[in-house]
Amino acid sequence: MDMKPVLRLKNIVKRFGEFVALHGIDLDIEDGEFLTIVGPSGSGKTTLIRLLVGMDNPTEGEIWLRDKRIDTVPANARPTCMVFQSLALFPHRSVGENIEFPLKIRGVSKTKRKQRALELLELLRLPEHYYSKRINQCSGGERQRVALARALAFDPEILFFDEPLSALDYRLRKTLEKELKDLHERTGKTFVYITHSLEEAMVMSDRIAIMRSGRLEQVTDAEGIYARPVSRFVAEFMGEVNLFDIEGTAQGSVRSKGVEVHVNGANGDNGVDLAPGETATLMVRPEFVRFLKSTETNDFVVKGLLRAEYALGSRMQYLVEAADGSHLTVEKLREDRYTGAIGDEVVLGWDIDHTHFIRGD
Amino acid sequence: METSRTTRIVLYAYGILAILFLYLPLVSIGFASVSKARYLTFPIRDYSTRWYGKALESSTVGDLLVTSLTIAGIVTVISMVVGFFGALAFARYHWRYRSLFQKFILLPIFFPQTVLGLALLMWFNALGVIPSWKTAIVAHLVWISPIATLVIAIRAYSFDPALEEAARDMGASTKTILQEVTLPLLMPGVISAGLFAFLLSWGNFPLSLFTTGADSTLPEWLYAKMVSGYSPLVPTLGILSVIASVIILLAALLVPRLVTYLRFLKEQELEFSE
Repeated sequence: MDMKPVLRLKNIVKRFGEFVALHGIDLDIEDGEFLTIVGPSGSGKTTLIRLLVGMDNPTEGEIWLRDKRIDTVPANARPTCMVFQSLALFPHRSVGENIEFPLKIRGVSKTKRKQRALELLELLRLPEHYYSKRINQCSGGERQRVALARALAFDPEILFFDEPLSALDYRLRKTLEKELKDLHERTGKTFVYITHSLEEAMVMSDRIAIMRSGRLEQVTDAEGIYARPVSRFVAEFMGEVNLFDIEGTAQGSVRSKGVEVHVNGANGDNGVDLAPGETATLMVRPEFVRFLKSTETNDFVVKGLLRAEYALGSRMQYLVEAADGSHLTVEKLREDRYTGAIGDEVVLGWDIDHTHFIRGD
Repeated sequence: METSRTTRIVLYAYGILAILFLYLPLVSIGFASVSKARYLTFPIRDYSTRWYGKALESSTVGDLLVTSLTIAGIVTVISMVVGFFGALAFARYHWRYRSLFQKFILLPIFFPQTVLGLALLMWFNALGVIPSWKTAIVAHLVWISPIATLVIAIRAYSFDPALEEAARDMGASTKTILQEVTLPLLMPGVISAGLFAFLLSWGNFPLSLFTTGADSTLPEWLYAKMVSGYSPLVPTLGILSVIASVIILLAALLVPRLVTYLRFLKEQELEFSE
């Protein structure tokens, strides 16, 4: 069956005077998916979501909601709704009145409004007596749920989120991330979420779109972003990573330009197809790098000195200095920790299967 | 942090000075108003409340109160409306000449009132308007509405613009947003602005002196009587005027609480009736 996207962006450009905030964004958002747009501050994600919600108009390009072009339709005439970063709960109204607000605007009767508000309180797992509570009597997590309930009361085609968890402490954020994912499954609505935290995106989303300086750098699932980034930017954005500049050799293998990497197994037969002299970036995540015993070898091997060991909770992180002075990061589960001492001469190795080549910058 | 000895001494000194210079003079006016004698002398030998009786009977006093109340009342209402929209322009919306507007609107507050009064009087003459209590309203507004704007603007600065955006996002029209979100949120500011406006207009002397023409407000009359023809009616009216201010102040402080309390009671009732 031909799945039509619920929201389609065609070459969206946004300029503020001389400054170009968005350079032609193309994106299809599928019905019922949880899409997260991730980017550092200043990457244009807030600008983009404001266009999607209708609080601003694009300079160029088209936004289609199913079969309707909506890029110049104002926010109050769009069937979409956003949960704001500040949550934007009305402080002069009770929890119930906040949730009922979109229904009141639509002229729904008082009894029906209340009935719906109570249903939503239950859906969000808030006790019924919260209906008459004041907003300032609610905790951070409860406010979050009230804001969600209010957005759901609107019954939007798409629910947008502008970093609503960023003001909360770590533990509460982790809990709410999972709740949000669960809520997405239970409601079946399309969620579009923006955040600067890729970790947050990983936990919740079906797909992740990485933004960089007003462009979409990569749009794929969490696995793809983590294991097969298209650029060094994406690779580095998602936590610790080891990157080496490499170039193809005449023998169909690769050679490192900086660090002394001993290449054993990489050639055209197992997916390394750099032309002689062609450059790329080799990427390996720290958890796939192993400390080799003297009898072992691997597809890629680097020698170095163990400089530091850090405890990261369930994992241990090691800093290894290669011969040319550059640093590699290795992560091991506690049970697999390295048994030697700081200052040891170590040999690191990893499989070709856990190696990824980045051809962009 | 514990208050240091020096800080405490300074605070006590401050309190004592405030009482000496602010409140004791008021008390002395109070004493003067209950004196039986025709002239201001201390210590007072005979006490009497007959001047209060006279004040309440006097038609002059009635006229003065009506004039002062009318001016203050109208100035209050207009200042609240002008101040509300002025504050939105001042604090909420970003527009091209905003910083110029912010400076211009505050200027009249810093102008010496006597100069402002004189300038307005000359302006009224030039326009051929005969000064009366109506021109005094205009004069008061020139000085008071910027203050009202500033008071409401402080409130407007403190509220999250996302609240209005959220309301719009949920389908509210501009009118609904104003009615359901902006106005209720700025209400405390609007009420204090109204309070300021009333008290500043009620007690204003320099602007009234220049612009009321043949009409007279309470402060003007008090001054005129003080200069020529003193009677204990002067302190009596002074005290009455202060009492009126205090009543207005208390009303403004208590009414919002009363409204909240009544709403609370109503909510409780609704919950029980279900």
